[in-house]
Amino acid sequence: MSQMSASERAAGATEVPVARAPYFVRKKKGISPQSIAIIVFLSMCALFFCIPLYVVVVTSFKSMDQIREGAIFALPQIWTLDAWDHAWNKACSGINCHGLKVGFWNSVMILFPSLILSIALSMVTGYALALWNVRWAGAFLFLLFICAFVPFQIIMYPLIVMTSSMKVYGTIWGVAIVHAVLAMPVLTLIFRNYYKDIPQEIMSAAVMDSGSFWKIFFEIILPMSGNILIVILILQITSIWNDYLIGVTFGGLNGQPMTVNLANLVTISTGTTNYAHNMAAALLTAIPPLVVYFVVGKLFVQGVTAGAIKG
Amino acid sequence: MKTMRWSRISPQAALIPAVAVTLVAFVGSILWTLYLSFTRSRRLPEYDIDWSEWGRQYDRLFKDAGWEISLRNLIILGLGSALAIVFGFILAAMIDKEKRGESLFRTVFLYPLAVSLIVTGAAWRWILNPTLGAQAFLRGLGWEVDFNWLAQPDTAMYAIILASVWQSAGFYMALMLAGLKGINSEIWSAAKLDGVPLWRLYLEIVIPMMKFTFITCAILLSLGVIKAYDVVVAMTNGGPGQSTWVPAYFTINALSAKSNLGYASAAAVMMLIITLIVFLPLVALTAWQQRKGAPR
Amino acid sequence: MPTVSFEHIVKSYGSMTVLNDLNLSVDDGDFLVLLGPSGCGKTTLLNLLAGLLEVSDGRIMIGDRDVTDLDPKDRGLAMVFQSYALYPTKTVHGNLKFGLSASKLPRDEIEKRIAWAARLLQIEPLLNRKPGQLSGGQRQRVAIGRALVKNVGVFLFDEPLSNLDAKLRTEMRLEIKKLHDELKSTIVYVTHDQIEAMTMATRIAVMDGGVIQQFGTPDEIYERPANLFVAGFIGSPAMNLREATLNVSNDRITAQLASGVVLDLEGYDFAETPRNGTKVIVGLRPEHFGAPDVREAKAAATFTLPVQYTERTGSDATVYLKLDNQLLALRVAPDAASRLKPGTSVSVDFLSGKANLFDAQTGRRM
Repeated sequence: MSQMSASERAAGATEVPVARAPYFVRKKKGISPQSIAIIVFLSMCALFFCIPLYVVVVTSFKSMDQIREGAIFALPQIWTLDAWDHAWNKACSGINCHGLKVGFWNSVMILFPSLILSIALSMVTGYALALWNVRWAGAFLFLLFICAFVPFQIIMYPLIVMTSSMKVYGTIWGVAIVHAVLAMPVLTLIFRNYYKDIPQEIMSAAVMDSGSFWKIFFEIILPMSGNILIVILILQITSIWNDYLIGVTFGGLNGQPMTVNLANLVTISTGTTNYAHNMAAALLTAIPPLVVYFVVGKLFVQGVTAGAIKG
Repeated sequence: MKTMRWSRISPQAALIPAVAVTLVAFVGSILWTLYLSFTRSRRLPEYDIDWSEWGRQYDRLFKDAGWEISLRNLIILGLGSALAIVFGFILAAMIDKEKRGESLFRTVFLYPLAVSLIVTGAAWRWILNPTLGAQAFLRGLGWEVDFNWLAQPDTAMYAIILASVWQSAGFYMALMLAGLKGINSEIWSAAKLDGVPLWRLYLEIVIPMMKFTFITCAILLSLGVIKAYDVVVAMTNGGPGQSTWVPAYFTINALSAKSNLGYASAAAVMMLIITLIVFLPLVALTAWQQRKGAPR
Repeated sequence: MPTVSFEHIVKSYGSMTVLNDLNLSVDDGDFLVLLGPSGCGKTTLLNLLAGLLEVSDGRIMIGDRDVTDLDPKDRGLAMVFQSYALYPTKTVHGNLKFGLSASKLPRDEIEKRIAWAARLLQIEPLLNRKPGQLSGGQRQRVAIGRALVKNVGVFLFDEPLSNLDAKLRTEMRLEIKKLHDELKSTIVYVTHDQIEAMTMATRIAVMDGGVIQQFGTPDEIYERPANLFVAGFIGSPAMNLREATLNVSNDRITAQLASGVVLDLEGYDFAETPRNGTKVIVGLRPEHFGAPDVREAKAAATFTLPVQYTERTGSDATVYLKLDNQLLALRVAPDAASRLKPGTSVSVDFLSGKANLFDAQTGRRM
């Protein structure tokens, strides 16, 4: 993440010499054929990227009669919210037909505890590893690095047994706890890398002034963590909300998040599939992370790249 | 040695939860699964190992046609998804070259990443619908195209690849863009002065300079492919038949649908081994390159 | 106001030993400067005292307390850092207050101390600002203030002036000196800047390679450097060091330089009478030469040499003469320097009784 901002600064610097040579700028003002070609190509790619969103949106507003005509790219003849209403209130997931609102509230209830758990745990761990003298920190970091890449399937069954014995299997708490556990290695590495950049002297001063692990954390380090906290929040909100596997494995029947409801809806093909309902449900599921993305897109990019490049 | 100071104890105490989670939920669980893979556990775990044929689950696994399909699909998916890196690089290079509209294009190319793969799968499943989707539309225009990928065993993987590439190309674009911006701007000026054609500049200078970024992308892609599960569930649910099974799907299917714990554990262990096979050499390579680059 | 003493300190990282059996003791109220080039171990020594590093062996005493195994906050110290190390998210007031967080003081006492330190350092108008809104000099004051409020007997400074520009550095130098005079506290101050050391210290410990080369008052260090390292390190321009051979006769000891010039060592306080023919290094301070082409009443030697070039700094000037393919620096008045053209020959006297002699083999002062 720090690499990103450094490179952005470097990119800003490149523009300075151009700006200082006005005759050069004037010459460049007209768009060259090469630029036009690039922009046309990029626009076509952008169009391709937008197709699924467009199709989902227009389908969700269509009536089933129009859908049967086969004109998938056409705008709705009559705009109707029936499909949205059905998806939210009546869509079936398995045997329950109470709509996606059940899954939506489950997702919300999963989101908050797992955000708090995962961030609190990994933040304190990252802080202790980065700024305090822990003899075996290097070995532990290596272990976390390995854990960050372990496929979920290899720890799935033991986690089911553990959550069952904790009496949280099949509840939203089970899902939340597993989310926190699985996110811990990655988040710890991100926090640790961020805290590593805090000047050593500030830490030395704090150790001499207070010496208390928690007091330094809450009074000095936590207020300095604003940026990374937002980035991590976005990363976690989107990844928890979009998760399917953990939700379907640990949610049981009552703790299923929205994605599981959606998957049940679109994959189970009993009777005729109502595509308008499916697309409205898909859109309902996609809206919360999309809102986050469009509101704080730049931080989202930082979040996903930070989640990717660690160590 | 010396008297214990409180300042030395409290950070270690604060690490206890994380260490416990790591040791129990990760290390312990991996060992547990590894152990189970040597047993005959079916629905419920059994903890007796028949030492005369401790590898029976693995023997069965290697003979299982479903596993073979899963491995083959893993390779197909990996090669296909590599398109996302190529595509991502092309997009990044163009955005970087032509600064106009950078933030708009970036926003558009990255939004699929914010959406759940279940949603992505549902959307593409609908677009690829043979009777009402894009195929019908294009045929309506008089084009005889065959888009019925999902229903045919030999093309269903392409549909999954299409959805994965659509979803992840923007991510690789973002990584590549960061890499491109890290390149010293004077190189572009120098190339312009030397009259080097652009494609040669990219091929001979820029791409070699970005090999660290490419390796990072390759690692992430491989790990993502090994973990691929959601998109398969949403697009095909493994079908038609077993034609779109991947190891992640195979493993969970063995556990939940077949209720065969020992078998699922063996498959999970194989997934871990595949991860390590992909992961360790690449990490070693990057570490080696970083060390080689360090003295400069 | 306590004394500070290091007893048989050993500090090693793995197999690398940075400090080996180091002993040093500072009296109550002293201003000790640890002076040396980077990597000499001075900052390590300071961090050991602060408790930010742990000693591998040995004992650190503050007053009659053994603080070797105490946490930094319990040692009764305050420290000012090179980069100031202000807490960026706290106001100046918050910074000073956090400095007191280890001491369980009543609220009004805390506020009283903050007010006192702010007044003393003239940072009262800044109390509600964040460090990011302060200039370098103001940050420096806040950093000192954060140390002052603790009301401890020992203050540690780790190159506190190196991030300031030259003018501010001079101002802050005086100010720290003034604070020391007012508070009468013990100060341990690390720097690589000999001007800071010479102007502020009551005691200087010159360090190199993890070893204390000399410990003494600034005057002792300057006038009687204990060895070649100290001789070469202290003084700007550096002391001229030349090989020579001692000539001991009954009543007279002289040193003959390689160029043939004979230096009269009358009045030199030998630790023990040297033997005839001993190889020595003669150290001649640039400022101990007479004016060019002026005969001095009491001269130890006269050099007649060609001028290589002159350097003028405004208030004075340095002339470099060519001696045996090396340069001999001498300080002259600026107007005298302007008359000396490169290539012309000049004759200067070295003042009697000012030479330094070092054993060529051991490098120690004779």
